[in-house]
Amino acid sequence: MNAPRLLRRLVALLVTVLIVHAAAFLLVRGTRGGPFDGERELHPEVRAALDARFGLDRPLVEQYWSALSGLLRGDFGPSLRYRDTPVKQILADALPVSLGIGGGALLLALLLGVPLGLWAARRGGWAEAAALGAGTALLAVPGFVLAGVLVLIFSFRLGWLPPAGLGGLRHALLPCLSLGLPLAAQVLRLVHASAREILGGPAVRAARARGLSDGHILRRHVLRPALVPAAAFLGPAAAAALTGSLVVEQVFGLPGLGTHFVQAALHRDYTLALGATVLFTALLGLCTLAADLLIAKLDPRAEGLS
Amino acid sequence: MLALTWLLLLAAAAWTAPWLPLPDPAAMNAEARLAPPAWSAAPLLGTDPLGRDLLARALAGARVSLLVGVLGALVALAVGVPYGAFAAQLGGRGERFMMRAADALESVPMVVFLLFLLALLQEYRAEMAVLGFGRLHVFFLAVGLLFWLPAARVARAETLRLRGQAFILAAQAGGAGRARVLFRHLLPNLAPVAGSLLMLTLPRVVLMEAFLSFLGLGVEAPAVSWGILAADGLAALNPLVDCWWILLVPSAFLVLTLWALDVLARSLAGKQ
Repeated sequence: MNAPRLLRRLVALLVTVLIVHAAAFLLVRGTRGGPFDGERELHPEVRAALDARFGLDRPLVEQYWSALSGLLRGDFGPSLRYRDTPVKQILADALPVSLGIGGGALLLALLLGVPLGLWAARRGGWAEAAALGAGTALLAVPGFVLAGVLVLIFSFRLGWLPPAGLGGLRHALLPCLSLGLPLAAQVLRLVHASAREILGGPAVRAARARGLSDGHILRRHVLRPALVPAAAFLGPAAAAALTGSLVVEQVFGLPGLGTHFVQAALHRDYTLALGATVLFTALLGLCTLAADLLIAKLDPRAEGLS
Repeated sequence: MLALTWLLLLAAAAWTAPWLPLPDPAAMNAEARLAPPAWSAAPLLGTDPLGRDLLARALAGARVSLLVGVLGALVALAVGVPYGAFAAQLGGRGERFMMRAADALESVPMVVFLLFLLALLQEYRAEMAVLGFGRLHVFFLAVGLLFWLPAARVARAETLRLRGQAFILAAQAGGAGRARVLFRHLLPNLAPVAGSLLMLTLPRVVLMEAFLSFLGLGVEAPAVSWGILAADGLAALNPLVDCWWILLVPSAFLVLTLWALDVLARSLAGKQ
């Protein structure tokens, strides 16, 4: 991907983020009822003071401008629920947790899916059928079900791994598995399909005719082109990991972006929900862009297509 | 074959559930709390912490989940297919604009936006109830919003193929206007494609419903769906009382159904 093209993609991403931010902002402010509407009616003076403190009493356009200038500085104002903590702080604390789990899940998907897919395509027969069947079955398991089952087996029955909480690698393993296994199944299917096509193609036959060893052919002539669909899947996989993290983080009680976003949405903490939405959009955009860069690297022919 | 059998059996059981000799899915029974599955006797698949029969609840959940799945998928198609067909018929700059807009929507995390919307709509509960509008209706709209993109893309590709064919040209030569060509000639011929699209969308909608209900933003209790049941099961999990069936029974229903729909969709796509 050349520089102007990359620049254009980045600008498009920025515009997307701005539009999402504006839409979410308008939705929030257009909705009646705020974070301070509780069971009990607040005293009007208290209410006015709260509104003034969080700038809710100013005209809409002015509020939007201040939100926009805040966005450009990465500042979303104070959280409405945790009154004294800036949204920026909450997001900064949550981001490493989510990135760790999400990144771990993607890594797991590649480490499991690619070798198994290649192996299935080369072995054929019952091994291929078994791998594909297991993959199809795994694809049907939603993340939260998988999470529950894993906790049931590995935490409660066997007592090997902690069922929830934040800690070292041992704590991260089950969330990563819950998010990553369905993705691994998808990667396996994709790699298998493309590897089988390549294995039967003329390039491999020519390599065989030159007397190259099986392992060499697989590493040098099959692996790289077979990875292209898997790389293309990285964008959707990032989206899936993001969606999955919304529930999986809750199941494991992890203070990540997903948990914060869902809790904020449920408890009308609009500034936090807004910040998380913008961050999600940016992350997803960056992942898609990275996937496209990777495809262009793996398969130069793809350059002209996108 | 296995997939089809499971789906038919499930649909039949869910349909006839009210007449089957099962306890009321909402009836609590303090005597039989947390009974493990007996497999052959009364609580076939066990009971939950309130003594409610899990098989009855899973079947009641199936009614909701399957109905929501079918209706949601239909909404997605009803939005996506005409959009794609119209874009292809339009051609030129209009088509490019319409498809670009669809692509741009793809890069927005729609699930996040959907959650946002559902949470905000809680404020308008009372008004919506007056209009006879529940969260389920909003859910259908939202699903239409989420899943119409692939439908639009496929419909466009198919319309591009149809556009140049003789019967369309004949209709145009006969003086049929754009709307008439679209509704009388193009859309009916998209029916086979729409069928396979429906099969592809259905499991995604069922999964989305379970996902949202799990988070507490989908189907509302007292109604049950598989997502709600799975959330109950997960909440009941603890290391002291071993009650795996509360989680695994509804999960098994959900997973088997998603798997069967997926297998069926693949085999249909393979035949075309």
